[in-house]
Amino acid sequence: MRILIADDENLARDRLRSMVESLGEEVCGEAGNGAEVLTVCAEQMPDVVLLDIRMPGMDGLEAAQHLAQLDDPPAVIFTTAYDEHALSAFETNAIDYLLKPVRKERLQQALEKAVKLNRVQINAIRKTEDNQGRTHISVNTQGKLQLIPVDEVFYFAADQKYVTVRYKDGEQIITETLKTLEDEFKDHFIRIHRNALVASEYIRGMEKDNEGHVYIVLKDIDEKLEVSKRHVADVKEFIKGK
Amino acid sequence: MSSNPEQISKQELFLPDFCAIPVVFVIVLVAELLAFVLAIAPISGQQFQWEDLGLISLFIQWIALTGTAVLCIMRKWLCRFSDKMAGLLSYALLILVTLILSEAAFWLARYTGVFAVLSDNWHLDFLIRNMAISMIVSAIALRYLYIQHQWKLKIQSESRARLDALQARIRPHFLFNSMNVIASLTRDKPALAEEAIEDLSDLFRVTLKEDSGQTTLQEEFDLGKRYLRLEKLRLGDRLNIEWNTANVPVDIKIPSLTIQPLLENAIYHGIETLPEGGTIRVNASTRDDTLMLEISNPLNTSQSNKINNKGNEIAVANVRERLQVFYKGRADLDVEDKGQTYVVILHIPTTSS
Repeated sequence: MRILIADDENLARDRLRSMVESLGEEVCGEAGNGAEVLTVCAEQMPDVVLLDIRMPGMDGLEAAQHLAQLDDPPAVIFTTAYDEHALSAFETNAIDYLLKPVRKERLQQALEKAVKLNRVQINAIRKTEDNQGRTHISVNTQGKLQLIPVDEVFYFAADQKYVTVRYKDGEQIITETLKTLEDEFKDHFIRIHRNALVASEYIRGMEKDNEGHVYIVLKDIDEKLEVSKRHVADVKEFIKGK
Repeated sequence: MSSNPEQISKQELFLPDFCAIPVVFVIVLVAELLAFVLAIAPISGQQFQWEDLGLISLFIQWIALTGTAVLCIMRKWLCRFSDKMAGLLSYALLILVTLILSEAAFWLARYTGVFAVLSDNWHLDFLIRNMAISMIVSAIALRYLYIQHQWKLKIQSESRARLDALQARIRPHFLFNSMNVIASLTRDKPALAEEAIEDLSDLFRVTLKEDSGQTTLQEEFDLGKRYLRLEKLRLGDRLNIEWNTANVPVDIKIPSLTIQPLLENAIYHGIETLPEGGTIRVNASTRDDTLMLEISNPLNTSQSNKINNKGNEIAVANVRERLQVFYKGRADLDVEDKGQTYVVILHIPTTSS
């Protein structure tokens, strides 16, 4: 079994490494934050990731969320020193976790029955955490994960089937719905139309054309997005409040 | 689970569940005691008669159980009101039940001829007396239930507050992470592990003290350094410390646990949220009769980490409150949130008033 150890603390990683090795398993890599986990996973394709929940930048829960996008995701075992809220959510969703300091028997047990998490399970825990949503949007392009930082996203737009994410370096198609994105990022994105969600940070202002249509003008890119009649009042108020 | 205010108030109505068997049992028991009191009271100049007790019991139980049933059925509706309103409504319901049943009892007694003496003059008298008894007893019962409920709430909130206070003093997160560090050091670096245990013990000795009274600035500095030494083991290169506190009078008295909680904040909300870590700066200087102490840490400015700052204010408010009590307004604590850095500045008098 090839194992990736993710923890932001050196000593915590060292201890897990020596335990894993004493159980006769192979440590194929280490990572100190969520973003590193994804990079190392792409290179090493581990069977199991021992994933600390609280890590700087991208935390363990978000990393797990992105990992679940992979075609063949590794199994995940969460580790944590203390996390009252997350743990009860783990239990209700039948997700295994290890409490630090980790016991060897417990680690062995967890490795033996380590399973892949599905997206439903991870989304369920992420919801109970009162954080402000992911830091990145992940796109699975030909088996590889591409990460788009949420604060580089200008808007999400939906057409019949897909949602397009327009960001600093271009655009990508993702398999999420506008509704779930709106719920997750409600503090930073505002709905301007049935089919569009705009980053409030990049709104420069509103414009009206001769026919009475209202548009949002964005900072940094030369694109206009139509505001539907139903949303005009909300968007106006929002811009005033900025 | 959603927790809208309506649901909370429903759970917290002071009236117990009148459908519950133990509650019904107590009501039957109290009603019977009341019947007994009424039967043995030497009011009418008559001798105690078992028949009287029987009739009174029957009547009182009838009212008590009907009243209970009404409150049981109406509970859901009563829950929609405030405690005061629900209490008044239940009171009115109980009196109404008494009135209706008294009236029914009167006519029943009259037509069955149980009491030959019952005349029309007695009718009003009978109703008024029953109502009066019902008013007094219901008022006492509802008041009792209310007080008992308040008492229960108080106990609950007190124990919750005690737990919160304890957790504020020892962050479980810090405790278990330190334990993990020690577990990890034990085999390869026993000397460091030993030192970590000593530091942790010192820290806990101070935080667990029932009344955290006063200490000297020197001791506060030492405690802060011990704390940072533990965190340095854990965070390694991610934590840098710049400690410039030379040339200040370290023997002045200050409230204990003034500095360490602020350092803990700097770690928890600052350094720990940064993948690359950063530097905590502690600067102290004196001017005139005032000691100025400045603790600064970098912040993670990306949007996802802003949530972490909430807890910051709690610890800062705690320290501020302690300073206020200790110096009676002669000390103050300012916070400067500059986006990328977070600075806490303390002004403490070096002379006693």
